[in-house]
Amino acid sequence: MIMQLYAGIGLAILVLILSARSHKTMNALSKIHAAAYLLITIYALMYTALPSYYLADRYFFMDHLGAFEVIISALLFFLSAVYSKGYVEGLMKIGELDRGNLKLFYTAFNLLLIAVTYSFLSNNLALFWIFAELTTVFSAMLVVTLNAKKNIGAALKYLFMASTSMLFSFVGLIFLFTLTGHALGAGTLNWDILMSNAAQLSPKILFAAFIFMFIGFAAKSGVAPFHGWLPTVYAKAPSAISAILSGSVSTVGLYGIIRAYAIVHQTSASYSASLLLMAFGFFSVAVAAFSMLAQINLKKLIAFSSIENTGLMLIGTGIGTPIAIFWMLFHMLAHALTKALLFFSGGVMHRQYGSMHIDRIKNALKLQPLASLGIIIGCAAIIGMPPFAIFLSKLYILLQAGMFSNWMLFGLLLLLLVAAGAFAMYLTRMFSQTGDDIEGAHVENYTPSRGMNASIIVLIALIFVLGVFFPQYLTDLLNSIVSELGL
Amino acid sequence: MITPVMIDSTIKVLIDLILATAAIIIVKRDMLSLISTYSVQSFLLFSMALVLYAENGSTMLLYLAVLTLVSKVIVIPKVMEKVQKKLNIKRDVEFHYLSPTSALFTSMFIILVVHLLLSRILAELQLSNMFFLGATVGISLMFMGMIIIFSRKQTITNIVGYLTMENGVLLFSLFLTELPMIIEVLIIVDLVMLTLMATILAFGINATIDEFHARLNPFIKISESKLFGVKQNTCGAESRASPAGKAVPNMQKFGGDMK
Repeated sequence: MIMQLYAGIGLAILVLILSARSHKTMNALSKIHAAAYLLITIYALMYTALPSYYLADRYFFMDHLGAFEVIISALLFFLSAVYSKGYVEGLMKIGELDRGNLKLFYTAFNLLLIAVTYSFLSNNLALFWIFAELTTVFSAMLVVTLNAKKNIGAALKYLFMASTSMLFSFVGLIFLFTLTGHALGAGTLNWDILMSNAAQLSPKILFAAFIFMFIGFAAKSGVAPFHGWLPTVYAKAPSAISAILSGSVSTVGLYGIIRAYAIVHQTSASYSASLLLMAFGFFSVAVAAFSMLAQINLKKLIAFSSIENTGLMLIGTGIGTPIAIFWMLFHMLAHALTKALLFFSGGVMHRQYGSMHIDRIKNALKLQPLASLGIIIGCAAIIGMPPFAIFLSKLYILLQAGMFSNWMLFGLLLLLLVAAGAFAMYLTRMFSQTGDDIEGAHVENYTPSRGMNASIIVLIALIFVLGVFFPQYLTDLLNSIVSELGL
Repeated sequence: MITPVMIDSTIKVLIDLILATAAIIIVKRDMLSLISTYSVQSFLLFSMALVLYAENGSTMLLYLAVLTLVSKVIVIPKVMEKVQKKLNIKRDVEFHYLSPTSALFTSMFIILVVHLLLSRILAELQLSNMFFLGATVGISLMFMGMIIIFSRKQTITNIVGYLTMENGVLLFSLFLTELPMIIEVLIIVDLVMLTLMATILAFGINATIDEFHARLNPFIKISESKLFGVKQNTCGAESRASPAGKAVPNMQKFGGDMK
């Protein structure tokens, strides 16, 4: 029933958007869409028994992990829709977005929400793969609605890197299917069956399948060395979209890795898979930390920080202890919210100065006090300062990393210090630049809409509340995810 | 009567031919013949599905064959040819990292390595020889596609490389007849969407932003004829008013490699 509800609402919204005439209607419909998904998922989480399966072949299901991910995504999409109202209007005013492309923008926005939601609710891994590919198509579409030639190149890069790597994932799925066909009599890609029968599968072939699957999912979530597309795409996409890409779409890849890892974890190949994840995670953190030092574009800096955090989450997954997984999941939530805050505030700066280039940003605190506050708090939060949400998850993941190996902990601490240094350097420069704008091009004050301000304020409040107050139902939810993953 | 031996040898011949088409794609420079080689490769895949159907009679293979024929032999090559003609790039002459000859040698090496690795990994499953052959060639084809993507500069050629990878995966999955029908169909639809999106983007790289948006955006009321009919011979013509009504500089209309 719930599964049909998502599809029904999604289709209805799409039809209405296609027939809508004004920006206001399209935007309101997108808000309703995301809010509806959010409410349905919360309802399902609270009042129905999970996991529940749908369709005769149990192709879809909702377990706690799926519900958790959908809630994060729907929340981000909702906030992004609220933010988009004023932001997109501004883009059209300065000609970065044609009014003719508005409908395309909102259609792709809502299609992306549907694809992301269904990818999180797919029990069948092949279906998951299909929806994950669709998220790439729709994200690329959103990136190229802007009037900039460079965006086409960025989208093409994304499309190529993500989808060629995803073909490797598909080979992994074929391996898995063949393997289950031999071990269980009938081939299957349903995650629940794979989980309960993992012990009967050959660890060697399972690990080979895992490596193939990992390549594609890693590219989807921007794990180094498959991250080449990520900084360009996040920087070129409209800020409202960058927030979604970073907090929701790239989690699709990570989600796939978690699901695949949970299966391998049931067998003797678990240790090799852990090492693989930790190695790639560590490498991502390292690559990102050193790349961040050189950034002069705020959005690129934030984008590289996404790679760093994905690496950290990969390490958390690889450690594989219940505590590590618990905090990795919390990190996913905290990171999504913090990144959205940074991208939203960055978007306001972009409107004010017409660029994210460090040299252009002058008198930021005076001209855009709220966005400046958002950036300062966001940066403090993302590097793991208390009292914000990421502090907790970073601390516990690092502690768990220390239990695994002291050397990894030392290495990580150093790298995180480098990343924090990169943020500190950028912020110091950004907010110490005063003086007159000689060109005088952007001195007039840009006034963000109420929706833009509201979403920034809500996000600041959320990451603060999550940092000081850990609600019991969140603990319960994360605990049930950990136990469902069999970790 | 068709004997199993005949079927097996036909499959082997088809697999060899598919490998040959991949090799041709690696060395070819002429864009149109790249696309038609891809079309031939897809046709071979289609024949393969038919032969496998003759062998085990699974109706799914028949559906797959039809889907392959429609999407990969007809629709995708047609769309790509159209875009390619519009782009006005005849040849993709630049190679980086690998020259065609060394790319071919690398591919041979890759096939060998894939064969060795797969025989190690899959040994315990005792798969049929045919499945094993399909897996080896399928995965090798993927790597050959990757070589094309890495060693060529033109986006259209890169798309052909991606399509070759796709064909590798499909070749592999043809031997898995138990995969549920609906999923196989969705996968193909998915891949077609990706390819079309990539093709439109490739068009955008060398067109003006308004032309690109008109292609991408079904909501802009601009007829196909305006883009592909009337504008067919405007190479070198002066800049034209964009659909939005503002003048656009006639940038990069000749395509060419702008990277």
